[in-house]
Amino acid sequence: MISIVVVSHSRSLAEAAVALAGEMVSGDERPRVAIAAGLDESAFGTDATAVAQAITEVDGPDGVLVLLDLGSAVLSAEMALEFLDPDVAKRVRLSSAPLVEGLVAAVVAASTGSTIDAVAAEADAGLLGKREHLGVVEVAGAADVDASALDLDEDAESVEVEVLAAHGLHARPAARLVALVGRFAAEVTLTNATTGRGPVTAASLSQVATLDARHGHRLAVSASGPDAADVLEAVAELAAYSFGDDASPRAGAATVPDDTSAPDIVPAVERGSGSGLDIAIGPALVAAAEVDTRGYVAGSPSDESERSGEALRRAADRLDELHRHTASSAGPGAAEIFSAQKALLTDPEITSAVSNDIDAGTSAVEAWGERLGAVAQQYGTLSDPYLRERAADVRSVRGLVLRSLLGQPEPLVAGEGILVVPELDAATAATLDALTVHGVVTVRGGSTGHGVLVVRSRGIPLLADAGDAAAAVESGVTIAFDASVGRLLVDPGEGEQDRLRQEIERRREARDVAVSQAQSPAVTSDGRPVAVLANVASPEEAAEARRCGADGSGLVRTEILFGDHTTAPTVDEQVERLLAVSAALGGRPMTVRTWDVGGDKPLPFLSMPSEANPFLGERGIRVFRSRQELLLDQLRAVCLVAKRVPTKVMFPMVTTRDEVEWARAMLIEAAAASTGDVPAGLDVGIMVEVPAAALRAATLVAGLDFVSIGTNDLTQYTTAAERGNAAVAGLADPFDPALLALVATVVSDVGPDVAVAVCGDLASSPVAVPLLLGLGVDELSCTPPRVPEVKAAVRGVDLDVARAMSAEALTASGPNRVRALLADCALRCR
Amino acid sequence: MAVDVASVSAWLTAYAETIADHAAELTQLDAAIGDADHGTNMNRGMAAVVAALDKEEFASVDALLKKAGMTLVSTIGGASGPLYGTFLLRTGTALADMAEISGAQFGAALRAGVEGIVARGKAELGDKTMYDAWAPAVDAYDAAIDSGGDVTAALQAAAEAAARGRDETTPMVARKGRASYLGERSAGHQDPGATSTTLLLESAAATLS
Repeated sequence: MISIVVVSHSRSLAEAAVALAGEMVSGDERPRVAIAAGLDESAFGTDATAVAQAITEVDGPDGVLVLLDLGSAVLSAEMALEFLDPDVAKRVRLSSAPLVEGLVAAVVAASTGSTIDAVAAEADAGLLGKREHLGVVEVAGAADVDASALDLDEDAESVEVEVLAAHGLHARPAARLVALVGRFAAEVTLTNATTGRGPVTAASLSQVATLDARHGHRLAVSASGPDAADVLEAVAELAAYSFGDDASPRAGAATVPDDTSAPDIVPAVERGSGSGLDIAIGPALVAAAEVDTRGYVAGSPSDESERSGEALRRAADRLDELHRHTASSAGPGAAEIFSAQKALLTDPEITSAVSNDIDAGTSAVEAWGERLGAVAQQYGTLSDPYLRERAADVRSVRGLVLRSLLGQPEPLVAGEGILVVPELDAATAATLDALTVHGVVTVRGGSTGHGVLVVRSRGIPLLADAGDAAAAVESGVTIAFDASVGRLLVDPGEGEQDRLRQEIERRREARDVAVSQAQSPAVTSDGRPVAVLANVASPEEAAEARRCGADGSGLVRTEILFGDHTTAPTVDEQVERLLAVSAALGGRPMTVRTWDVGGDKPLPFLSMPSEANPFLGERGIRVFRSRQELLLDQLRAVCLVAKRVPTKVMFPMVTTRDEVEWARAMLIEAAAASTGDVPAGLDVGIMVEVPAAALRAATLVAGLDFVSIGTNDLTQYTTAAERGNAAVAGLADPFDPALLALVATVVSDVGPDVAVAVCGDLASSPVAVPLLLGLGVDELSCTPPRVPEVKAAVRGVDLDVARAMSAEALTASGPNRVRALLADCALRCR
Repeated sequence: MAVDVASVSAWLTAYAETIADHAAELTQLDAAIGDADHGTNMNRGMAAVVAALDKEEFASVDALLKKAGMTLVSTIGGASGPLYGTFLLRTGTALADMAEISGAQFGAALRAGVEGIVARGKAELGDKTMYDAWAPAVDAYDAAIDSGGDVTAALQAAAEAAARGRDETTPMVARKGRASYLGERSAGHQDPGATSTTLLLESAAATLS
């Protein structure tokens, strides 16, 4: 793959352009890009020696394309070529393309493995789409390719797909299409069947852009070559889930910036993804928590009111932006928090109090600071640990509004190292530069907060709740952590540092090996195949799961899949989206879990009475005993989907046999209203997450095909400890022998004909794999990025050894003893 | 006196002082038709050159000029970096391995440096660039040497010619660099690059002999 160098007068311009272009392709397909821009962070200028250095840094046999802004950038780049070894300089091409358009086109073209000539041509053609759209050139001129070469081959196969993406085949969906096509040995051409534009080659982003394919247009896709049939199927799948974009036109589209407009506050949104490891070392970057409001000069009440409104609008825009970016980079589940935070800004209770304060002569800064501070404090004193964690979300919004009022930039983490924060809010987690932040340590805030969720989804190593030891860390001191054993090291000695770096390297290599074998089946060393599935909540995550090698999905979280709906989704809408998930999984089996909601995780379209203790209240299937309609609709959709693609269904929070009977009756009733009978291939199962269900699994499973153990809730209910409550989180340890005893009970009681899966966090822990397989678990469903490592762990398991170790674990004195047994087992297997 | 390490070092040091004195004026000229950084950039670059010269002993003029050129390339930031950097590098290269430098040899070296500027900036006469000062200057230098003048006289003639060339840039319409974005509106302003070039030659005339 060729590499790219960006030369600009401004470092922030170059970084933002690279981030923008980086969005077009997924991390593992991105070409290497180096920047030579600015004399330093803020001074504009270019430096020929820096350009030469950047080229050397990314140089490779396929060559380097240099994109430039203007003036001295061109002179410096030319001069840089004279500084380089002539053999290197020969491989370097300076591009005359416009920087942003050229870079976007070049990144996409490079990711498909094109030659430097082809990438340079793509960059040069980067303006075509815009010129076409604005009517600067005629269509015929735009498709600057040999039309005869695109005349459909006699043998070409073709399909027609509809553009479902709300904003048409704009840059990102088009980039996904180009990247997809690049993976197949086939010549693919596209014609906009609605307008007649084309044909153009699907290998070129700029050519695809000239199709001007909008929402609702139909695209004719033709392919020839050895992979023709496969590529068409893949394109049809991609099209079925809106080319990875949101299919429904966005609400309030006028306020949502489109893909090219610059955000108002700070453009930096997440850059890159983390190492994906659970270990890191580097100098501590200690972040200041409080916004400095000194120096704010208040105006008259009417001025303040105007500033307040303006700041509010900017803060809301910023949250929208964070929502979009996080949804696309870390999944819609991780992005939800930003909608919730935005709702705070429009809460009439708060806004009217603020405007009263301002009318009474208080400054906007003081009014917002006090009012949101008070709300955060209220949350902070609640007894429910889940709600208590929401205080961090409120404090984060408070900071956002205050900074907006003060015109301060977001507290971007400067420098390279490990971020140490009192608690991690979602906005910070989403804006971290994963290329320089090697890891995050939080002092408190639990391990289930929204910031934690986002940073985990981004693959940035995290040590949560490190406590006083982390609070005492000073900036610049070298720190290291290994989250797999919950260890924080402050100022380790040189020998220890070397050992850690070697350990990081070892894990990275092991991970790389795992990734290279991700698409192969996971078979234990003594020959037993184990299905390794992924937990998903969106078609995007399903696609990621497939890329990571998942054998299907062992858990489709429907409450998140439809969490963006404000009214209950229709049966048709549910069928469509579930099919999109299936398509993104490449038609591999998926296990749909019915709505898993409750007072602690409400759905927008399902009002729940407040309960004193929602965690022990109406949750999961319990909710629907009194409201059958929502469940019936969902089961109708499941039956319809199961007729077409491999599907299983399971019910959450089952406690009694009576509930199983009822759920089965609901399924039969739903089938009667959709498919007639329950589809033959539709396996039915339950989640085991309540200890009572584990203890009487034999009674519950009559007539069922499988059970799936939700180790998160089962651990918390078994130990009567909430993971998010730092005071007792240590008790909620999934390695507790009591929990393992329940797993063993389930396996032995359900008998050989009922499959046992695990879909809790424990299944995402490669180290736990020998334990679970030794206990007799048949399937593992983990987070998508963990699939390669979990598969690798399966391959390392010898079942006889694992069984013996698991038997010992059941009688171990505590979770740490279990971990020691596992470490021992790992050493013997390595 | 001759063109040697001591006098070339004195030349660049004097130029750094002159630039510091004229930085505001250069930036003001650039503000009218460019990006208002020529004085700042040159000042930063020449200060770095002086610092670099202070740190090291140089065995030859060409080593000194190459060091100064690379320093400018890395520190100026704007187009003047590669342009003046190239000038000093090429001038230095032309003087490599010379034990003693005659007036004619120095003239040839200056011309090589100016050719480097042209190759780098692709400017032509009348484009309203530093080349409009450089071109008459090297011609005047050679003419003075041909008619029997010494280095000092030749450099004085060059500085005077550069000043005339600089003045002639005022009515020109820019065709290169940031000023070219202004088109006709660039007419009526003296070119900052031609101005700093003239200062460089005036410093040379005052220090080299």
